[in-house]
Amino acid sequence: MSAPRRHERLLTVIRWTFLTASIVFVVFPLIWLALASLKTRAAALEVPPAFIFTPNFAAYEKIVASGLVDAFFNSFSIALTNVILSLAIGVPAAYALARMRGPIQENLSFWVLSIRLAPLFAIILPLYVLFQKIGLLDTRLAVALAHLTLTLPLSVWLLMTYFRAMPVDLDEAAMLDGAKPWQTLYMVVVPIARPMIASVAVIVFIFSWNEFLLAFFLTSRDAQTVPVVVAGLAGTMTFDWPLIAAISLCSMVPALIFIGFAQRHIVEGLASGAVK
Amino acid sequence: MTIDWRFWFVVPMIVALATVVLFPTVYLFWMSTQHWLVTDPDRYFTGLGNFARLFDGADFWQALRVTGAYLTLSTVLMLGLGMGLALTFARAGRGWMRAIVVMPLVIPPVVAGFTWRFLLNGEIGFLGAYLLPMAGLDLNPLAEPRAALFSVVIADVWSRTPFMFLIFLAALQSIPRDYYEAARMDGANPFHEFFFITLPLMKGALFVAILFRLVDAINTFELIYVMTRGGPGRATQILSIFGWRTAFQELDFGRAAALGVVMLVICLIGALLMFRRFVKGDAEART
Repeated sequence: MSAPRRHERLLTVIRWTFLTASIVFVVFPLIWLALASLKTRAAALEVPPAFIFTPNFAAYEKIVASGLVDAFFNSFSIALTNVILSLAIGVPAAYALARMRGPIQENLSFWVLSIRLAPLFAIILPLYVLFQKIGLLDTRLAVALAHLTLTLPLSVWLLMTYFRAMPVDLDEAAMLDGAKPWQTLYMVVVPIARPMIASVAVIVFIFSWNEFLLAFFLTSRDAQTVPVVVAGLAGTMTFDWPLIAAISLCSMVPALIFIGFAQRHIVEGLASGAVK
Repeated sequence: MTIDWRFWFVVPMIVALATVVLFPTVYLFWMSTQHWLVTDPDRYFTGLGNFARLFDGADFWQALRVTGAYLTLSTVLMLGLGMGLALTFARAGRGWMRAIVVMPLVIPPVVAGFTWRFLLNGEIGFLGAYLLPMAGLDLNPLAEPRAALFSVVIADVWSRTPFMFLIFLAALQSIPRDYYEAARMDGANPFHEFFFITLPLMKGALFVAILFRLVDAINTFELIYVMTRGGPGRATQILSIFGWRTAFQELDFGRAAALGVVMLVICLIGALLMFRRFVKGDAEART
């Protein structure tokens, strides 16, 4: 009887040690980043580093002063465009796929999922050449369209899984009463699914906001997003650690706000496509 | 199937995905058969010439080796840590702790890369210039080939392990409790439980996690771009960085497109292998 109990006690110790270590591993780099953003350029280079110092907000002032706010505007409008487009196209498609049976449905949904498994690098060069031909290179529209390759399959997949789990009785009743399919969708289905649609909107926003590869290849100056600007600053000769740290922190703000507001759905959404 | 409303609801999605995914993919295959140098106005069909030049160069094989090492190392660490976290959170921990552990998943990888570069820098980094020397380890983690690869992997582990954790946690929570109770009645200890119940029942989740890791490793770019740019030498130059060099420094779009095709094929083979094992295992479980 005592052996299992000893096991249990040992396991509890192991669990909490591992948990503490993991939290330190996750949090420490972020705290260090936050501290660096409040140092002067010279102080950020000191070894051994100072843990206690008078905070200095020069880096944050520099973000505003040097026009880096434009990148935030670019990121924001690209992400918002993606939310609108991927919901406008994705909601009806996901609903139709959820109410379909047979090989067409299977092949279509498999095609949508398989896009998530394709390397992004494969479509970057073609997109670059095509956008160059139609003069869209280095525009917000180009990046927003390119991001649809990620956000549209994602939202279709998440919403389809959700709609499929929804009972068909309600929308069938509405259609029997003579409602047109789009009326059923927007007056019966969408109101019920509102929390899920909101979560998908958040996930799409975060995906587009954080995306680097496509934004990096398709922009050169005017349409650069925040991650691209961070990478650009990290490549300059005069390395301004506090400035990069400050921008990095600012770039996390939307995701952290959203995750606070709908953590459970988002967390599940980020893992899904994988689970089902 | 008769063409009814469902068809019209799906059409915009098909059109959109055909435009931004299908058409570019077809175009990629065409590009890969062209002699296409940005600096050279002459563009013509070379058949498999780009592939031949790609496979002839030592850089490609080097990048493939680095990608393999990167993939293996990061997979082992992420699977281990992700599984450890899932097992831990199934029994201990609070909601806010889970939120903290998952946080890196929503942080841009470029920021993760920058943060770890800042920590590991050999002259000013907290780890690279302060903690490691204090522990008697006198090496510059980002300047030595092996240490650099390991550093990049650590940053990626920091950034992407939460994804594995969430997949495993979902799978773990779907295992019925009675299995464990029955095993305990038969005198099983926690290690028996893990190896004879948990692990076999999580095979599907493991396959999915490995498949996504393969794709993510192939797609990893900004982390390495920010931390080492593929250096020192070519020690951390994985396929995507090599592709960027080929396309935008050597300006050889034809050869870069051939590389894109190769990456597509790698993912396809990986997906087919995983799906076959996954689906087969699933069918066996049902019979």
